[in-house]
Amino acid sequence: MGDLPDGLPEGAELASIGGFNLFVGPLYRLPDSHEGAVKRFAFVAAEKHMNAAGSVHGGMLMTFMDVAMSRTSRLVSGAPTCSTVSLTCDFVGPGRLGELIEARVAVTRQTRTMVFMSGELVVAGRTLMVGTGLWKIAEPA
Amino acid sequence: MSVVPAGFVETKLVDPFEIYVGPIFDSGALGSRRFAFLADERHVNMRGIVHGGMLMTFADLTLGQAVWDMTNNAPSVTLNMQTQFLKAAKAGDLVEVLPQIVRRTRALIFARGDFTVQGEIVFTAASVWKLLGQD
Repeated sequence: MGDLPDGLPEGAELASIGGFNLFVGPLYRLPDSHEGAVKRFAFVAAEKHMNAAGSVHGGMLMTFMDVAMSRTSRLVSGAPTCSTVSLTCDFVGPGRLGELIEARVAVTRQTRTMVFMSGELVVAGRTLMVGTGLWKIAEPA
Repeated sequence: MSVVPAGFVETKLVDPFEIYVGPIFDSGALGSRRFAFLADERHVNMRGIVHGGMLMTFADLTLGQAVWDMTNNAPSVTLNMQTQFLKAAKAGDLVEVLPQIVRRTRALIFARGDFTVQGEIVFTAASVWKLLGQD
């Protein structure tokens, strides 16, 4: 690793390998909490993520939620591929330049083919977004 | 460097994130503009499929432009967005939308869009916007 920015918690690892994830990233995976039940991710808000009003763009926040839930669905299902079916996001508060934004995702229910999740984006105890997502497991085991 | 699709002009963007993922194009008169973006290799995941984050960003951008158009650029923020992913879009696809304003109250605007590739819906989004300073 070696290239992690300052301020990332212990155990953070790079989660962006290529494609849009890397283009808008880098995004990081953080160690799980709640005995593995909560999957955690993070990114540091940079100039490219902002809107003209000085907040992190809603598209970036939804992208981050999508990536966090996609990765969580693959982690819990073991499937190489899962696809977003629906994602609903509430924009609760603004994110600011330079902030370490953390995603926390928990699985509400998992069936053979589907994963139901809820998630939130937080900065130091402040909530930026809450979301619920439904993912399809592309190739169930 | 970018090719402007026939009948479209490049949309003027001000948000750094939108400029970063753009360009975006539009056609038609203010208040009934159709928007499009040409998916390229920046927008896809490792499977070559347009990333959900790009589609949601395009939705936030275009529904927001429609909200601005009808409010003479009054300041507003996205409160909520509901999205459904019906079909994969791929690099090289032109993704289009004609945003619809479903209802406007004093403080809120309800906007939605069906996003198509060659006439087929690949993604839908419905959003609620708050006009700042309005009760």
